[in-house]
Order: sequence, then structure tokens, then C-alpha cells
Amino acid sequence: MSFTDADLIARVLSSEDQHAFGELVRRYQSPVRAFLVRLTRGDAHLADDLAQETFVKAWRKLQTYRGSAKFSTWLFGIAYNEFRTVARQRKELALEDADEPAKSAADSRSDLRLDLTEALKGLHSSERSAIVLCCQNGLTHEEAAQVLDCPLGTVKTNVLRGKEKLRRRLPDYQHYESA
Amino acid sequence: MNQPEENDPLDVLLREQNAHIDDNGFAGRVLAALPQRRRNWLRPIFLLVVTAIGSALAIHWLPWENLSVPDLSVPLALNSQVLLPWLLVLSVTATLTWAIMAAAQWED
Repeated sequence: MSFTDADLIARVLSSEDQHAFGELVRRYQSPVRAFLVRLTRGDAHLADDLAQETFVKAWRKLQTYRGSAKFSTWLFGIAYNEFRTVARQRKELALEDADEPAKSAADSRSDLRLDLTEALKGLHSSERSAIVLCCQNGLTHEEAAQVLDCPLGTVKTNVLRGKEKLRRRLPDYQHYESA
Repeated sequence: MNQPEENDPLDVLLREQNAHIDDNGFAGRVLAALPQRRRNWLRPIFLLVVTAIGSALAIHWLPWENLSVPDLSVPLALNSQVLLPWLLVLSVTATLTWAIMAAAQWED
């Protein structure tokens, strides 16, 4: 029998059930960690530290989760705030507008995937966050705006602008076909 | 309009890049790092108990024998000897009422 998120959250709140919280962590660790890996431009160790802090904060603040948004959206919001705090501390935000990477010709699917990874790293963090949330994690623009704490129009603009940059940097993406 | 376009190779590529990350002990590390959640019900209980003890002591020491109904027709009846016991009774009642309301509305 599989419990819904709401069941698990209720169990955590009523009896501090760590097993129930562990199940929530197992359910959402992959998208949260992947999101943070993207935000930290591939720094898996930093991303894992941030993800761990995200779930610890979620445990502490769980009684403030009202259920109006999806639990994953709420988690992404905490994760994004964690990233922003660390980025400010490390002054990494100043590095976000890095030079565009050199265009490379992708001759194979794996090359194209690697190029996409590199191209994502070259985006501004606001564009990268919006694309990762909307295009990779399937959040709506409204949900992404909630996570990123910015206006809906800004999210739409960042998705469009980010995808345009990716298209420019990945000239061979049009030949890509799903496996 | 916010769903990725099904036929756009870039959207397909982006979706396929979102690979699953295996747990590999991550959930265990998170659970080991969890702090003990504060027991929210302890503080209002503590507040009520302390207030009840304080009120009981105050009631015990109240000068009940001096608690008389003031004669409002006599102007000099409202002196400190008459008012002080009433003031103490009102203070204790108000404190107890406030503590009960605070405990009932407690939200961490």
C-alpha cells in the first residue's frame, strides 16, 4: 500500500514519524538533488549538502506547509532559497553571466547531451532555474514563479530567453531525435 | 501555454537529461541529521501550570477577610484598604484568563 504525500505529512506532524519523512525524502531526493546540481553548475557535493539542508529545513518547517501548492513545489522553493543563500555567501552570483561557451559541433547523441550540460551552465542562474523547473521537472510557469519568488512574466521571459540561448549554442540540436 | 512542445528536439533533449539520481544512502544521511522537533504542546502546558501555581499562591495570600463590597454612597468608602484586595483579585483573574487564552491560541 502506497501512502500519499498528504498521508505521510500528516504522520510526520502528528507523531514525528521519521519513517514517514524518510519516505518523503526518498520520493523527492532525485528531483531536488538534480535541480541543485544544475543550479550549482555541476557541483554534486555542494548540491548534496544543499539538498540535505533543504530536507532538514523541510522537517523543521513542515507545520508551515499548508498544502495549497504541491509538496515538490514547496521543496523546490526551500532548495532555491538554500542555493541563493550559499551563492550570495560565495559571491557566485557575480559569476553567473559567464561568457558564452564556444559553439561546438555535436556529432553524436552523447556529445549533444554533454553540450547541453555545458550550455545550461552558461545560462544566467534565473534562466537556468526557470528552464530546469519548467522544462525538466514539469512545473507550470505559475509553480516556477512561486518557487523562484518572482513574477509570472519573468519566469516566462527567462524560459524563452534561456531556450533561445540554448538553441544558439547547440546548432545541431535540431537533428536530435529521442531514443 | 507552459508545457514543453512535444516535437521540439530541445524540449525532448532537456527532458531526457533529467536523469534519476539514485538515493545511495542520501535519505539515511538526512534522517541522521534531523534535529529533534520541538514539542509544541509543552510550552502552553508549562505556561498554564506556572500560571495556575502562581494564581493558587496569590489566592492563598489574598486578604479575603478584607474583601468587602464598597459603599458607593459614601465618598470616602473607596480608600486603599477597600480597593487593594479587589485589585489583587482582579489581577489574579486577569492573569489566569490571559494564560488560558494564550495557551489555547498557541502556535509555534
